[in-house]
Amino acid sequence: MTNSTIITQYIPPLSDPFLQIITVVLILFFTVVLGKGITIYLQRTLKDKMDKEHLNILLKTIYYGLIVLVILGVIFPVLDIDTSGLLVAGGVVGIVIGFASQSIVGNFISGIFLMVERPIKIGDQVNIDNKLGYVEDIKIISTIIRTYEGLYIRLPNETVFTTSITNYVANLVRRFEYVVGIRYEDDADKAIAIIKDLIDEQPYALVNPSPSVFVDNLGDNAVNITVRVWAPAVEWYDTKTKLLWIIKKTLEENGIEIAFPQRTVWFANGLDTRNMDGNGIHED
Amino acid sequence: MYEIYHPPFTTELTDFEDTVITVEKQGSDLVYKRTFQGKEETELVLLNNDGDILINPIEPVNLPRKLTSFLLIEFKRPALIRPGDRKKIYLTFPVEIGVFVTDRSGNHEVIDTFTFSRVKFTLYGSHNHGLICRHWESDVYSEEPKTDLMHEGYIELEIINDSNHMMEVTQAVFNAYGMKIYYGDSRIGMKASMRIINKLLAETDFSTYPTTSRFKRSMELYTSRKLIINGTKGIMEFGL
Repeated sequence: MTNSTIITQYIPPLSDPFLQIITVVLILFFTVVLGKGITIYLQRTLKDKMDKEHLNILLKTIYYGLIVLVILGVIFPVLDIDTSGLLVAGGVVGIVIGFASQSIVGNFISGIFLMVERPIKIGDQVNIDNKLGYVEDIKIISTIIRTYEGLYIRLPNETVFTTSITNYVANLVRRFEYVVGIRYEDDADKAIAIIKDLIDEQPYALVNPSPSVFVDNLGDNAVNITVRVWAPAVEWYDTKTKLLWIIKKTLEENGIEIAFPQRTVWFANGLDTRNMDGNGIHED
Repeated sequence: MYEIYHPPFTTELTDFEDTVITVEKQGSDLVYKRTFQGKEETELVLLNNDGDILINPIEPVNLPRKLTSFLLIEFKRPALIRPGDRKKIYLTFPVEIGVFVTDRSGNHEVIDTFTFSRVKFTLYGSHNHGLICRHWESDVYSEEPKTDLMHEGYIELEIINDSNHMMEVTQAVFNAYGMKIYYGDSRIGMKASMRIINKLLAETDFSTYPTTSRFKRSMELYTSRKLIINGTKGIMEFGL
């Protein structure tokens, strides 16, 4: 039994040409109304989740797809046009095209899911598949990244969708951390007070979540003070790069030195350095 | 202080801050300069311009750069209000100063903004759905506080408790898009209200009326930009 006869079991072909025209016009009318209804509903549902350009493409695809489907599946049988040959040819062509465009369709579907789920937005700073940079564009097949070095990278949407994404600006605030090592003879309480004052002077070092400054561990060469500061995600990098040097300078201005690795070596028998010349050679 | 100046002019904004604004005429152009302790902070040329210069307070959310439109005032002492009650309190807010050039048709264009107040930011609410706000700490006053014109203004805030419970208010979030700033010779004031719906939800809004009839309306940045603004209220949905 061919596809055409299956359909005509439910929709008998009309013999009267006038009736055929009326029926076709009515079916087309209802299809257009249904298509419009679906697109309006989807537009309202997805308008906050997808950008306008991509949403329009999706809606047009659905709208015209529905019309083509109705023409092939309903109108042709009503007009007693045998579509079995078309369907067989279409099936073969479909398989060929399907194999050929497997990755394109995969990227297209991934693109739609990316636009609906929206883990990234244009302008976001992201790490996708170890590619760090700004999202320049999210297209239906691919996503464009501009790396911090200024390189243009095109990532297929399938890769973007299936790999892990780190979005550095998805949340409003972000934390950074320093470890400031001071000498053992320096006053850690004083250092902490100075660092807290410096953080307080920075506009983008947030009041809430509050910063924390504390002695984290007593290292081999230094008393290590951990400094944790929250900043707005968009100002995070500038604040981080600015504050560390200010801390270093201000601590030194207050007599607190940043410790460096050193070893105090004790000799069982003192070194007889007086008998050496400037080149370390014994004179006698 | 805050007024319309006719170029050329030189004005010293504060005695102790040493901020001087100078506008000179160079042919058909104006040269605007702002110096702090003799050091040049800003200089720009207004080409083919003979407009007046307006200096007045603006919404305190524009510096160091535009990051948010919300101002969060944290109370130094929590304020408690009974269910169904309403009470007027006074808070202070930071002042930012805007310099505008005006054209013949009365349009204002901002050319410079600066502040003498401390600038800090804070997060109100959750990390992903909250708000970044300009932060300011204020005492809670029962009458108009004495404020320094260049550093602070005051908000007359009417708190209305529409809930059935006693409420503790520790902060207020205001939307700068709704701010109506008024100033006099020695003070800057705003009139606002906070309607408490429940423990986690309140709404703040500004009144179009000044706290004192002698006050003049300030040219706010958002007013001068003629933006179409959808929401002017501050919605506090992450607690009081």
